[in-house]
Formats: sequence, C-alpha cells, structure tokens
Amino acid sequence: MTEQLFAWLDERLDLSGLRAFVAEKTVPVHRHSVWYYMGGITLFLVGVQVATGILLLLYYRPSASEAYESVQFIVSQVEFGWLIRNLHSWSANLLILMAFVHLFSTFFLRAYRKPRELTWITGVLLLFIMMGFGFSGYLLPWNELAFFATKVGTGIAGALPFVGDFMVRFLRGGDDVTGATLTRFYGIHVAILPAMTTALLGTHLLLIQRQGMSVPPSVEKREKAGETIPQEPFFPNYVLHDVMWWYVALAVLAALALFLPWELGKKADAFAAVPAGIRPEWYFLAMFQTLKLIPSHVLGFEGEMLGVMGFNVAAVLLFLVPFLDRKNPDGRQNPFITFAGVVAVVYLIVFTIYGYLAA
Amino acid sequence: MVTRRNFLDRLLALGFVSTAVSILYPVWRYIIPPAAAEPATDSVIAGKIAEFKPNTGALVKFGTKPAILVRTSDGQFKAFNAVCTHLECTVQYKAETSQIWCACHNGLYDLSGSVVSGPPPRPLEVFKVNLRGEPGQEDVVISRA
Amino acid sequence: MATWPRNFLFAALVGGVLASAAPAAAQAAPPSGCQTCHGDQAQPALAAPARDFAGTDVHRDRGFTCVDCHGGNPNETDKAKAKAPATGFKGKPAGQMVIAVCSRCHSDAALMRKYAPKQRVDQAVEYATSVHGQQLAKGDTKVATCVSCHGAHGVRLVGDAQSPVYVLNVATTCTKCHADADRMKGYMLPDGSPLPTDQRAKYEKSVHHAAMVKGNDLSAPTCNDCHGNHGAAPPGVGAIANVCGTCHTVFATKFALSTHSQIFDRSCVECHGNHDIAEPTDAMLGTDKAALCTNCHTEGDNGSKAATAMRSEIEKLKEAISHSQALVASAENAGMEMGEQSLALREAANQLTLARTEMHAFDPKPVSAVLQAGLGITAKVDSEGQAALAEVSYRRTGLAVSLGAILLVVVALALKIRSLRA
Repeated sequence: MTEQLFAWLDERLDLSGLRAFVAEKTVPVHRHSVWYYMGGITLFLVGVQVATGILLLLYYRPSASEAYESVQFIVSQVEFGWLIRNLHSWSANLLILMAFVHLFSTFFLRAYRKPRELTWITGVLLLFIMMGFGFSGYLLPWNELAFFATKVGTGIAGALPFVGDFMVRFLRGGDDVTGATLTRFYGIHVAILPAMTTALLGTHLLLIQRQGMSVPPSVEKREKAGETIPQEPFFPNYVLHDVMWWYVALAVLAALALFLPWELGKKADAFAAVPAGIRPEWYFLAMFQTLKLIPSHVLGFEGEMLGVMGFNVAAVLLFLVPFLDRKNPDGRQNPFITFAGVVAVVYLIVFTIYGYLAA
Repeated sequence: MVTRRNFLDRLLALGFVSTAVSILYPVWRYIIPPAAAEPATDSVIAGKIAEFKPNTGALVKFGTKPAILVRTSDGQFKAFNAVCTHLECTVQYKAETSQIWCACHNGLYDLSGSVVSGPPPRPLEVFKVNLRGEPGQEDVVISRA
Repeated sequence: MATWPRNFLFAALVGGVLASAAPAAAQAAPPSGCQTCHGDQAQPALAAPARDFAGTDVHRDRGFTCVDCHGGNPNETDKAKAKAPATGFKGKPAGQMVIAVCSRCHSDAALMRKYAPKQRVDQAVEYATSVHGQQLAKGDTKVATCVSCHGAHGVRLVGDAQSPVYVLNVATTCTKCHADADRMKGYMLPDGSPLPTDQRAKYEKSVHHAAMVKGNDLSAPTCNDCHGNHGAAPPGVGAIANVCGTCHTVFATKFALSTHSQIFDRSCVECHGNHDIAEPTDAMLGTDKAALCTNCHTEGDNGSKAATAMRSEIEKLKEAISHSQALVASAENAGMEMGEQSLALREAANQLTLARTEMHAFDPKPVSAVLQAGLGITAKVDSEGQAALAEVSYRRTGLAVSLGAILLVVVALALKIRSLRA
C-alpha cells in the first residue's frame, strides 16, 4: 500500500531522485560543528511562532476595545489558551536570541565569505524582520506596558532627519499611539512581515542547500593542505542532531512556560500616568540605553538623531560585512573584523544588562 | 531479544509519539470553541426576555463589574452600571418605589440613573439594552452605550 | 427681467425704513437721570451703583430701575428736585430698611410668580428667625442683611457661578465677616464662649470641602447646608443628628437606636467634629490610642468591650478581603477566569461598608451579623481561589510531564547519534 503510494507519487514528483540526493548529501564534521545547529533552532522556533500565531488568530481581536479582553479570553476561557500564548511569547524571545547567536556564530566563523554573501544579507534582513515581529507583536495584547513602550519606541523614529515626523505618523497610523496603531501593527505582524519572511527565508534556505555548508577558514586551510575533513551523512546523522536541538529548544520553551508564565498586565489606558519602569523588550534595550546616554545635543546636532543615525550606519555596515572583510595580503584573516565583532557582542551584552539595572 | 539499538529505537518512537500527543492534544482542545463563545467586553446577554418580570431588577455580570437590569412596570428594559458612585457598593432595585437603591448609605437613583437623594455624587452609568432573536424568545442584551 | 429692478428698489426702501426705525424701538427706556448723574461722580462709592447696575443684574434684566428700590424722580435733572421728599426718595437703605425694600417684592407671592414662579417668598420670615435677624431686631447693625450676601447692584441669580451665593462661593461670602476676628469680637455662642473665627480654615480641611472642590460634587455641603441660608443659625443641641441625617440618613437612623443618642449632647459632632469633619476611619473605633471610644470609656467596661469586639471583627473582614484579593489576583495572573470571585469580593466589600454603617448603633450584635456574612463570602472565594490554583498546578503537572517526554527524546536522540557514529 505505502509502496504503491510512493510509486504513484514518485512517477510524478521524482521522489527517488530526492531520496538519492538526501542519501548522498554529507555535512562536514569539525570542532565548530555545533554552531551549525543554531540556524536550525532558529528555523524551528520560526515554525513554533507560525503554528502558535495561527492558533492565536482564532480568538484574537485587533481593536483597542477588544484586544486586551480577547487575550484575557484566550488565557482564561479557551482551553490551553494560556499555554499557546505563553509559548508564542517565550518562543518569540528565544527566536530573537537564537537569531543573534546564529548571526554571531556565522560572523566569527566567517561563513559569509564568497560565495555566501547573499545568504548573509538575507539573514541580516531576516533578523531585522524578526525584531519587527517582536516590536509589532509586543503591542498586540494592548496592555499598559506595551502601550507606553510602543509610544516611546515609535517616537524614536521621529529623531530621523527629514523623514522623522512622517515615519512617526506612518508607524502609528496617526499622530499618537491609538487603536489605529494597533490595527496597523496587527496587519504588519500577521501579513506583511510573514510574507517577507516567507520570501527571504525561502531564499536563505535555498542558498544554503545550493552552496552546502560553509567550513571555517581554519578547517578550509587544513583541507587545502591536503587533509580530508571527515563528513557525516546528512541523513540520518545530521537530521537527528538537528531534531535533538529542536527538542532541546522545545524543552527550554516548556520549562519557561512552566516556571515563568507570561503575565497579561493591566489594560492600556491612554490617559493613565506612564507607569514606572517603561522599557522595551530586551532586544531593543541596548539601543534604548544608548539613546538615553547620548547628551541631548552633540556638536549642534540633536543627540537622539545622531544615535538613530548611528544605528542606521551600523545596520548598513552589518549588511556590508562580506564586502568589508578583505583578507590581509599574506592570506591571513583580517583581525580587525574579529575585533569589531567582539566589540559589538560586548557592547550588546553590557548595554542590555546596564539597561536592565538602570530601569 | 531486545538489543540495545532496538531498545533505543523503541524509546525514541515512544518519545516521539508521546511528545506529539502532548503537542497535538492541547492544540485540539484549543481549537474546540470554549463555553463562552466570545469575550464579554462591550455587551453581555442577560437572559431570555421571559426571565424578567415587570417592576423587577436583576444583577448581571458585565465584564468584571455588576450591571443592574431593570424591567419597568410598563415592560421597558433599562440597564445601568450597578456600582454606586458613592463608595462602590452594589445597588439594587427597589420595587416599592420603582427606584434604584444602594443599601450602604441609602443612595437613591431614579430609572434614568440620576441621583434622587443620598450621598452619591454622580448618576449611574447608563447601558444600552437591546432585544435580539425570535419574538417571545428574545435575548436581552446589555451593551455599553 | 424688467420688473426685477423695481422690486429690488422697493425691498431696499422698506428695509431701509425698518432699519432706521429699529434703534428707536430699542431705546424705549432712555438712561435715567440717576444713572447719568451717578455715572459722572468722582467718588467711587457714588459712581459704583450706576456702573454695577448697568452690568449684569437680575433686576435690571427684568426691567426694574433705581427708583424701584431707592425712590426719587429719575426724570428730574436737578439733584435736589430728584430727591425731594415728595418723590418717595429713600436714599441708601440700611438695617431693617434693606429687609423691607427687598421683601416688598420678594415676599409678595403674586408679584414673584410673574418673574420666578418657583422661587420661595419666605426669605424675610426666615431671616427674622436667624441670628442675623434677631440681632438686627435688637438694633445691632453690624449683622448681615440681604445685600451683605447677595450684593445690592449687579445682583446675580444663585445659579450664576459669579454670584457670591453660588455654591462654590458661599464659604467665602460667609467668612468675609465670620473669619474677621475684629468684627466677631463680642459675639458669643449659646454656651457663653466667644464666637470662633476659624470655621473656614477648619471647613477647608473637611471631607465635605474636598468632595465639593476636588470631587466636583456641588451637592456636598457648604455653610448654608447645615446652618440654613436666610435663617442662618447654629443647628443647636438636639438638632445636629437631624441636620447631618438629611444626607447621612442611614447613620442617623442607626444612631437613633443607640444609647449614645440619649447621652451625646452634640450627637454626631461628638466623634466627627463639625467644621473640620475628617474622612472617618476604622481607627476611630476601638480602645487603642487613636480610637475615640476611650475618651469616655475605660478598659473593661461594657462600652470598651463592645468597641474592641466590633473593631477586631471589622479588621478580620478587611484582612480576609485583602487575602482573597491577593489569591484571586494570583489565580488571574496564572490565566484562571476569576470574574465571579471578583464580583463576590465586591459583595464582601459591600458587607464591610454596611458594617461600618451598622456600627453607628453601637451594638456589636448586628455588626457581627453583617461581618459574618462578609466572612462567609471571602471563605467561599478563598476555597474557589485555592481550587483555581490547584487547577493551575494540575496544568503545570501536565506541562512538566511533557517536559519529561521531551527530555527523554533529547537523551534518546543523543544516544542514537552516538550509536550511529560508532
């Protein structure tokens, strides 16, 4: 029966070709191999987000008068609603964390080297989209903290030169954060960003499939010196490994939902006093803290504008990493790139912690 | 004879099946519509029209606060926020005088929600009442005006 | 087309005639001689009446003029002739004359009906019963008459926010005199002590003032709500509970049941004060330092026992409510639906409020009954809250079991991968 079905499908889809391809596909094994799985975990978490997000859509209502109540309804009235919402919230945070880990691991292993520049660029774009998901999704429960954090967050766009005021209005769907912002963020969160993700993630994965796994320069050197780098079959070894890491991520998610249930907070009230300790989600905290530290005026420019422009420059530099990293004439790795990466990691960690302690 | 490898495979299969169940079961239960079909935010069904006799009042849970649904002597429905504006006691319907009364400090409201006497500083918040459904079988729906 | 210009001409002509007639009609009442002369006076006291009466004035708006109160002949341009005795000229009324001038119309029901049919006409009668009126009858001209509070020229309706007798302005108007220590010198209270002048300062600390000014509750009492307006006098011994009871009906009813109502000369005021009535607290009841009961009761007597019993039970319900609230909040935060319990806790808080009311009969029994009802509610909420938390931990158990299954897979996979490599 199954064989017949397989044969029927094979005739039409060339499944045996695919099977042969998978059976032949190998993955290099070396002491940095573990970092390969970070992208896999990130991908798995994207899957969790899609699944739980779709489930939340069954009950969520994107309007200022109903958003909070519908989330409350999900966690209190819908069976296992608390679990789905908890998983969506925690998985979102874990996803961005893993995306950062994945980014820095490919950075330090220099996996963006020719011919993988496009993989890098789609990856960086995906990271920004994930942060956009986080930012837009944070507002959707329409609670007090999210409301004010969004007010501050969208307000920062106002510091951009020339287009600032337009950007603020554009993001908020008006002059202030209102129900219009909520509807807009909802559209961005469930339609625009997922569409972009589908396209970019598809390209990202296709590129990886086409080009195969990158090996770190140190391993590449050994390979060039004539050493054979051990390989392991993609199936079942690598796949099982991947699945194991997915399960580890799943375990972390379940543990977080178990021990640190996500709270709903108070309903947003535009006329309420700003509650103490307003701060963005942790992945924006380093930027938030930096903006707080910049003096209001630097050399006649507005401090906040300089900060925001600085972030934009950093983002552009991040895109351009594959083109900026030129090897030394003697073929050695460019130590400046490693140094810049270390500085970036230290900056992000220190300022995130600082932001937490300062609030 | 169970070899180590065989045992491992069975263990794995068991693990996969049980985790799949522990994922699919909550999802299935989540998809099943809950008892209350939608969140009571701006409206709530107080009951069938026949449940309310003329010149009576009933307390209805409206979100996290009580609402008072009054059916006047001539059969009209009126609804108010049942939280007294004085010290937040729950008000009740006083059939003898056809007024809304707060037992705590004797605050009296008329059937438009206005203060008649006593300490309440403000009138009661008025809700809208609509009838929905087949004649004689209508649901009495209270909603924020 | 041809007729159009002629019609237009006609219309313009008629319009022009009407327009020139209109100002003449509006000027039906030419400025009286009184206002012309007084308006030009250099002395402010003489010029002010003309100016004020020309502004907003309820009497002028209804067509009254200077002569209606002052007499005289407004058509006479000569000062002496205008104020000749034959004109009935009264000059500036003072003392009893003010009352007479105002009440000539205001006590005339038939006349008042033409202007303000709902307005009372007993102000002069009331005034005669007031301390002001009685002092005036004795020949004391320092006391307030109609114009002291309402003004003489530029009189506004009571509902006019700029009127000196508008609700929010009453305290200022009364204390224009009553906060003036020099003016009040020599006046005594019924008990022979000097009349105090700190009523305003005290009132501004009161819960009544706060309700009016901060709470925007214009029905909150100001001076006249307790003292009367035209018949202003202290409520007097024996009447206080009635006066407070006009608003605080339940308390007055309960208090009437108590032994205190026969002992307390100043009923409510004994515990709550008068002008500086503070927000009542539970601390006022009981036998500890802050409590008022110990002013009369000594430890061990029936009163102190009752006070301790009532206070401790009130505290018990308060604690029970806050405990249940915390429980409900934690269950809610864990994603449990606790709407019914939140509603029940409101009902428990109702019972607490009712107990505080009931307490004014100073009998522990009915207070206890009410509080027990409240405690019954909190006990039920508590057990439901515990059940909800048990449900939460049951859910968590399920999650923990799946976590175990997940970890099992992780371990099994790790072993499997190792065995594949081997």
